[in-house]
Amino acid sequence: MADNDQLTRRDFLKLAGVTGTSVVVAGLGATALGHTSGGATTGHFEAHAEGIAPKPFWVMTIDLTACIGCNYCTYACKASNDTAPNIFWNYVYQQDEADKHRYLPRMCMHCENAPCVEVCPVKATYHREDGLVVMDYDKCIGCRYCEVACPYGARYFNWDANTDPNPYVPAWGTPEIARRPRGVVEKCTFCFQRLDGAAERGLVVGVDLKATPACVNVCPVGARTFGDLYAENSTVAKLVTRRNATQLRPELGTVPRVYYLV
Amino acid sequence: MFSAAVYILGIKRLVPVARIAVFVGMIGYSMALLCLILDIGRPDRFWHGWVFWNPHSMLWEVTMCITFYMGILVLEVLTIAAEHNLLKRYPIVHRIAERLHHLMPVLAIVGMVLSLLHQSSLGATYGVVKARPIWNKSNMPILFILSAVAAGPALTIFAISLLSRLNKRPIVKWSLVEDVARFDGMALLALLYLRFWDTMATSYSYVPLRSEALVETLLGSYSLAFWGGEIILGIVLPATMLLTPKFRKSSGAMLFASSLVIIGFVINRWEVTMTGILMPISLSPVMPVAATTLYIPTWIEWATVAGIIAYALMAISLGLRYLPVLPARVAKSSRKTSAKRRPAPTATPAIEPIVQ
Repeated sequence: MADNDQLTRRDFLKLAGVTGTSVVVAGLGATALGHTSGGATTGHFEAHAEGIAPKPFWVMTIDLTACIGCNYCTYACKASNDTAPNIFWNYVYQQDEADKHRYLPRMCMHCENAPCVEVCPVKATYHREDGLVVMDYDKCIGCRYCEVACPYGARYFNWDANTDPNPYVPAWGTPEIARRPRGVVEKCTFCFQRLDGAAERGLVVGVDLKATPACVNVCPVGARTFGDLYAENSTVAKLVTRRNATQLRPELGTVPRVYYLV
Repeated sequence: MFSAAVYILGIKRLVPVARIAVFVGMIGYSMALLCLILDIGRPDRFWHGWVFWNPHSMLWEVTMCITFYMGILVLEVLTIAAEHNLLKRYPIVHRIAERLHHLMPVLAIVGMVLSLLHQSSLGATYGVVKARPIWNKSNMPILFILSAVAAGPALTIFAISLLSRLNKRPIVKWSLVEDVARFDGMALLALLYLRFWDTMATSYSYVPLRSEALVETLLGSYSLAFWGGEIILGIVLPATMLLTPKFRKSSGAMLFASSLVIIGFVINRWEVTMTGILMPISLSPVMPVAATTLYIPTWIEWATVAGIIAYALMAISLGLRYLPVLPARVAKSSRKTSAKRRPAPTATPAIEPIVQ
């Protein structure tokens, strides 16, 4: 359960977000809370030191220097989460330069200060107790305001009912969650169906395949790492602190949970 | 707004205009509600906003404002409907209408607050979105409210001019229309002033995506809609006409000018929405902006809009025929002409306009 301090802080950030001053707040935050490591604000660590960060604190790191653009993550995601053909919870952007290709895998960033949560008129998208941004498909009215408000383009709308067989099943995995109905928005969930209750099943998140997001498991070059940022000997924490880690569009003050190693 | 002018500022001479404005306003708001219900992915869940509150969401505020304002408009129209002959035999209706009539100043104030709040929240719906830098500015609510203040009276002028021409004589004292037209001209000038400085301020420093969207608006694929549609046809030309006494005297000129204002208003909303949405998001410095995309409404979208406009025309003509929206003289004459064409309806339009 989130304690009072955290609620206060989050509410404060929410308030700041809506009055359009979160740039200022993020700036203050960077001064007061965060030192920067390799250009990335690591406000997450300070939040932990103050005891206001939820436990466990799931983050993902993606090594952009390792990514080869094979799209396996996209395929595995589409199979496990059973998404419609035109919906990509995970997507790999490609940019071609003269002598090389550059890739940028994108999923939901599970922002600390998520614009989609702020703007949803019916609270269909919300922060779980552990801070993951999830959706209540039974509440969603399909207004798509969240889709417009997401700075990362991570949200997709179900324009049609998804009734076709999934071409990525069974080659890339088997569906683990029910298909979403027509007329609601959906996005990456960090495969929370695998994370939840992992300890009870005797599994370690980020290590055991059954307790790790599908995109992390399938990556053939091991570009992705998933885990608890504050756990002892946390691999993600080591990567975030020792490598040159950055988040996407940090200037927006969203504080994403996906760190890119560049 | 007109109710407010009548009941708060005590401009009694505007009463006939206010009645038409309230009636047309109610139809307009029901159109907006219909649009919203058809636009969302799950129309069956339209009531979720009333039950699952997120007061932090601008869209929630808009939903609540529209809901309450629609309620106020219905109450205001009820006082008109209660004068209907069919309802006159039920004294209770009369008593309720009487009560409501005393409440009118309150309703007018609440209505004005809600309508101002609603248009501002609508602007803020865009203004708070940081993911679309061209929208993300505190001017948005003010721009939206000002353009609505300009377009609202234009809609009333449009309705009155059109009905006057169809009736071959003014349905209200024409000097009233001239008053409203003068006000509307001023409102347009105020809008132009703010639009100018907003554009100037937006253009002064480079902000990724905001600057690209601005260039797209001023010089790119939306430049014709902006300069031609919104500024020249939507503001400059009608403001000139509305502020020129010679044009104000002609119902034809007023019909033309007011329709320009309305079209300019629609173009403004379209262009503001599109320039924000069509500018793709640059995820990171690593991945720069991709090419702009194009949006063309599908036939389903056109058909939906046509259906909603058809509903509005039908509701307005039914209302004008069966409700005492118009002052008595005209109502009588229109009844006479229509009686020639078809058998007399069971209900007859009321005779006396209420002027208190």
